[in-house]
Amino acid sequence: MSRNLVELVRRHHAFDAPTALDVLKDAVERRGELTDEDRREAARRSGLPEAAVHGVSTFYDDLLTPRGARHLRVCTGTACFAATGDAHVDALRDGLGLQLGERAADGSVSLAETVCLGFCHSAPAVRDGDTVDAGPGVVERALAGACVAAAEPAWSSTLAEPVLTRPGDWSGLRRVREEGVTPEALLEAVTAAEIRGRGGAGFPAGVKWGFARAAAGEEKFVVANGDEGDPGSYIDKHLMERNTALLLEGMALAAHAVGASHGFVLVRSEYPRSRPALEAAAEAARAAGWLGERFDVTVIEGAGSYVVGEETALLACLEGLRGTVSARPPFPAQEGLYGRPTVVNNVETLCNVPFVAVHGADAYRALSPDAPTAGSKLVCFNERFARPGVYEVPFGVSTRWLCEELAGGLRDGRSIKGVQIGGPLGGILPAERLDTAFDFDALAAEGCMLGHGGILAFDDATSMRDVARHLLRFGAHESCGKCFPCRIGLQRAHGLFAADAPIDRARLEQLLETLELGSLCAHGGGMPAPIRSLLRWWPEELGLAA
Amino acid sequence: MSAPALTVTVDGASVEVPAGATVLDAARAAGRWVPTLCFDARQAPFGACRACLVGVEGAAAPLPACTTPCRDGMAIDTEDAAGRRVAHAVVELVLSELPRAPAPHTELAQVARRLGVGEPRWPGETHAPAPPDVRHPYLAFQHELCISCGRCVRACDELQGTFALTATGRGFGANVAAGLDAGFRDSACVACGACADTCPTDAITEVSLLP
Repeated sequence: MSRNLVELVRRHHAFDAPTALDVLKDAVERRGELTDEDRREAARRSGLPEAAVHGVSTFYDDLLTPRGARHLRVCTGTACFAATGDAHVDALRDGLGLQLGERAADGSVSLAETVCLGFCHSAPAVRDGDTVDAGPGVVERALAGACVAAAEPAWSSTLAEPVLTRPGDWSGLRRVREEGVTPEALLEAVTAAEIRGRGGAGFPAGVKWGFARAAAGEEKFVVANGDEGDPGSYIDKHLMERNTALLLEGMALAAHAVGASHGFVLVRSEYPRSRPALEAAAEAARAAGWLGERFDVTVIEGAGSYVVGEETALLACLEGLRGTVSARPPFPAQEGLYGRPTVVNNVETLCNVPFVAVHGADAYRALSPDAPTAGSKLVCFNERFARPGVYEVPFGVSTRWLCEELAGGLRDGRSIKGVQIGGPLGGILPAERLDTAFDFDALAAEGCMLGHGGILAFDDATSMRDVARHLLRFGAHESCGKCFPCRIGLQRAHGLFAADAPIDRARLEQLLETLELGSLCAHGGGMPAPIRSLLRWWPEELGLAA
Repeated sequence: MSAPALTVTVDGASVEVPAGATVLDAARAAGRWVPTLCFDARQAPFGACRACLVGVEGAAAPLPACTTPCRDGMAIDTEDAAGRRVAHAVVELVLSELPRAPAPHTELAQVARRLGVGEPRWPGETHAPAPPDVRHPYLAFQHELCISCGRCVRACDELQGTFALTATGRGFGANVAAGLDAGFRDSACVACGACADTCPTDAITEVSLLP
């Protein structure tokens, strides 16, 4: 990302100027589409050059599709695909007489696609305005203009001493304040607890915090990554909307440890309930004296981009710039938001911190006695399961136990063909390998990953070639366009599976290697993982050339 | 006081580079060629094209030379087999997005020749063919030849400080634009020509006044 633009944004931010993205989003909300006058206005108010504003306006999904009086967004996430094979998308398209991204000539209604609304427990999902409806009959209700808010998922814990499903009560920060726990002592406890990042990469939070604490600079930031874009995952959504105080407390503790003065939560615009929930909780925390002068939190909503979940792209989005990935170094801990040292942690990662602050590192490490990884994990299941929902579990249990006991196996007498764990960049575990332990290393050994912890079953009726096409279409659509392997390679990979021709396996494998070794971030680097699983377990279904 | 220099090995030859040097700096100091498309020594490294992947002793996979800092004692292999396979594949992918081959004198065509990349074998969508945008008296756009290397945008930002250019779109639809995409003439462009000078494909060229 251009240092000059970042510095420009920082100086305007210091005077409370809105970001270009704020202004553009507001214009779309009000009038349904952007004009050049909106872009000029965004440039004037944000201080960004007109060309840079134009670049922003062509990047985010929310700014690209024209909106009618009624704006319908159909979820094309993987859980909805697993539920209907995209029949819900076709039915809406046919019923409205609109293609995805179109608005009716009379402006009455518009249709866009969105990935994913986080109602994977009752797929398929459709959003009308800010109402998310889901489950049987959703298409008929959407066509009739009669969407109703879908029920949020059930949640529970299998742990005697829950970490993430315990309602946040600020007891960690209270202890820090009352007992005068120093930043060094808190950092040491979090490091000793070996909290691994829950957003995908599994990087130790304490190490990241140590870098930010050691970085030079008076002004530092804590950023909660709430851009839970992985289709099939609604874990951070659950935390941001229903255990909000726990997240804010985790951020305040992180700020204490690294010496940060302000925090930001970036929430996805696909979760219309998240920002209001966080803002209400932050207001309550201010009134109770937990947030305020020493450390406060601002909630910012994204605008539709999967890759913004990558930390450098996330910071660019917070700055209102194009959400593209930047090469590291510099790492955000040294040079992050507005060029200042910044801790970027996933929402669930931060939610682990209050437990450590209250009970200490030893108690935290004892939560998963049978696994190399400390702490606990939230998992969630898609609608194919009998009991989908959010569950807190220890690491190291068998994936089979999670799927068959906890979530009750598949409903309607169907059987599991494979489960994709941890989002679209994770491999697919076939039914015969479900005994694999649910932990970072054990899943990695199967070409899979823990990722976000979403567990998404494909049932026995699923065509695995359709799965490949679905995933690569998503991958190509969401590529930020910066690095060449991802920008062009995913388009070509999708083309291979979208065409009706047999696929040359050697050519496909060369493309996968290029993506894996060449991509700038985990998006291009990770999209081959599920394709490799499909090649390994279901080659006969992929239409490979003889 | 400047930081002490680092000693690294490039393809077996020892070379000294200043602290903060990248692997690409070291390779060039040793007189070794590393393919690049998005790199311009006048600009900050960008790390987009991924053609510059080289082997580094101890690294599990090849690393991008332009954005990897040198460490003292580092051993670099500029002809790492996996790195070269990726470079070859990347150049073929880039050629496949253009509706016509780049002119032989362009940097892209030169890199392709040196790597031995011929006609791209990827069928499918290319940039939409379009006539050149010649509304500006001195600078012409040919968007169909843009490979989104970002060099023009960075030249305008880092060298000229004008910010008349931007990356646009996303994924395969990425491209560049001046101002609000109404061409150079209706943008902040001061016609310095830095973008045309750095463009590796002739997507931006100077309009010659000579016959």
